[in-house]
Amino acid sequence: MISAENSWIVAWGEAFGLPEGVPHWIYSAAALIFIFCFVIVPCGGLMSYFERKLSADLQARVGPNRAGPAGILQPIADLLKLLQKEARSEWNWKESLWLSVHTMALFSTLAVLPLGSMALLVNTEMSVFLPFWSALVLALGTMLLGLSQNSVPGWFGGIRVAAQTLAGSFPALISLLCTGVRSGSFRWSALAESQGFSPWDWTVVANPFQLVAFCVFVVSGLVLLAIAPLDGGLSMSDIHGGVSSHLYGMRLSLFRFGRFYGFFFWSVITVVLFLGAWDLPSQLVIPLRMGGAGRLLAFIELAWLLIKTFALMLLIIWIAKVNSRSRVDQITDFAWKVLSPFSLAALVGASLCAGWRAF
Amino acid sequence: MNDSNGEVLRTDLTSWTIGPYHGSLPAPMKLCLSLDGEIITDCEVETGFLHRGLEKACELHSWKATVAYADHLDPECAVFGELVLCLAVEQLAEIEVPLRAQCIRVVLAELARISGHLSFMVRMAKAVGSETIIHYLLRDREKILDLFELLTGARFSLNFLRYGGVSADVTDGFIERVLEVCELIRIRMKEYNDLFTFNFGFLKRTSEVAAISKNLVSHCGMTGPNARASGVSIDVRKVFPYSGYDRIDFEIPLGHGEGGVVGDVHDRFLIRLREITQSMEILKQLLDVVPAGDYMSTKCDQTSVIPPGESYVRIESSRGLLGCHVVSDGRNSPSRVQFRTPTVANLLAIPQIVRGIRIEDLPVVLASLDLGIAEADR
Repeated sequence: MISAENSWIVAWGEAFGLPEGVPHWIYSAAALIFIFCFVIVPCGGLMSYFERKLSADLQARVGPNRAGPAGILQPIADLLKLLQKEARSEWNWKESLWLSVHTMALFSTLAVLPLGSMALLVNTEMSVFLPFWSALVLALGTMLLGLSQNSVPGWFGGIRVAAQTLAGSFPALISLLCTGVRSGSFRWSALAESQGFSPWDWTVVANPFQLVAFCVFVVSGLVLLAIAPLDGGLSMSDIHGGVSSHLYGMRLSLFRFGRFYGFFFWSVITVVLFLGAWDLPSQLVIPLRMGGAGRLLAFIELAWLLIKTFALMLLIIWIAKVNSRSRVDQITDFAWKVLSPFSLAALVGASLCAGWRAF
Repeated sequence: MNDSNGEVLRTDLTSWTIGPYHGSLPAPMKLCLSLDGEIITDCEVETGFLHRGLEKACELHSWKATVAYADHLDPECAVFGELVLCLAVEQLAEIEVPLRAQCIRVVLAELARISGHLSFMVRMAKAVGSETIIHYLLRDREKILDLFELLTGARFSLNFLRYGGVSADVTDGFIERVLEVCELIRIRMKEYNDLFTFNFGFLKRTSEVAAISKNLVSHCGMTGPNARASGVSIDVRKVFPYSGYDRIDFEIPLGHGEGGVVGDVHDRFLIRLREITQSMEILKQLLDVVPAGDYMSTKCDQTSVIPPGESYVRIESSRGLLGCHVVSDGRNSPSRVQFRTPTVANLLAIPQIVRGIRIEDLPVVLASLDLGIAEADR
């Protein structure tokens, strides 16, 4: 599914010295592994460090400060510790199965993750919607993971996650349409081109309806993927973290990393749709592109995109830390009765705005 | 569902037993829940996991040593156990407590009440999953524990009260530091209000959840903040004043149903918040004029034998009416010491109020009752 006009992998392959004539699927696989190892995993470590330091600052604590300078190596120390956990005696094949299904569904979204104008593996009219299906498959995987555990917290956690996902996906989908209405296409590249470097060129401030759509999209993403503070499905106080209550060691780190990744990919998509994507000032882009420094440009774009993503994630974490966790029935109510009407209104408004501009 | 005894099981309801140790429980106890989906239809409470035989231990030790056992009645607010036992023994032996000692006792009791209510708020915050405020509250409670340490040398099990007074006079600077802490908490009240009282998410979790009616209050014999949140004006400090509470001017806050229904979780929370303010008011009045004199009754010899007889005394602990019945037969140790603790009544109310709520609310409701399992199981 590599689009002809944007076969960025070929350019990358040349840059990395891969011989010509290598089949595209090898390029794609190599690219996916590269993105996972050198973008997603380091981001996960960094983000968990930032989250802990930020919450420590908010909560009058010190936070991690032992492993490495200012505790920066704490995520690695935690991972190593979790990997050392002794295996539990009973082995639940259903749990293993669903954990792998869940993880595969999750990381299949890597292929559609937009990480810069030259890092678009799948750039079609459908690409915006693909992460969506993955999110739904992910919710299904999480639910079945919960149901496969022989414990009440797992069952309730699984069912709650499924209920939340169903409630959150409708407003998310509708508010997603608003951006396509503005840019006229659902290609990642078109969505990015319709915006600019300056915040005034971002979709979110294009008109009030886009702002509403942005708010609805962010909040319904939290509902859809059960991210704090709307994470009733993984509530700690009553069901011990729901689905994750029976996971330990390696599995727990896999599940937690998956949770981080869900949050991360939703934030990346939000930034691409509403917050100016990877757009840099044209004074910077044109000389780089003309001068043949495409790789440098790709890195700068990626860095700029990730900075905005991290800022958005930290903002959400900040809100989550100070507020209490909402109840699942209230979350689903909110999604159906508040988010959905707002998203529909935003879609109508955004369409009218687009129509007005067209004349 | 198969059942080997051939007993017919209802398949429409799920049963879930949580405890003795579980995240949603404030202390070791067991709840057998029947669930219809996520709605609790029935609940049985089982306690006794923290039984230490305190009352029996009191009988096996000398009169002097019983104070240390009363300390452990409720480890969180140790002063109340000590105070009620000392008052009971003093009533029995007709020991006069000097005014200065009474004042120090009330200062300790009110500090313990503030500390207890702050811990209550910590448990509430944990139950609703609001992480930040936990640390704020614990930071402020630490200041009160520092005061305990300054005066008594211990932070939790003070073992400071004696029959006829207290074991030491206030140290230099103690009074100033108490007032400083009061001022600090008064300022922090705004923070608590922002993060709790006026917080939309917190209101959504607590208002109109598990309301306790006046009938239920009298039916279960509930006292303390839980009863007052339901609008029942009962406070031992006003009704049967002790240790000079009659000389202090303070108010008893009552629940008005700000969250929607009188006596719901939000009311029970607000009552505690307001009681902290009242306790600080009491402390300010007390420390304005600390009476001069002895901190210990000169006539009372700690080794003396308590005359035969019995007495019953009640005080207002941070959880409600705490009573102590002491019987002496003239020997060196008590013949019987028995406590009436407020948590027992609160436990009785649980099955009534959790019916119809969701599982997610269970930790919140349990936290809102401020259960002190240590004093219920003793």
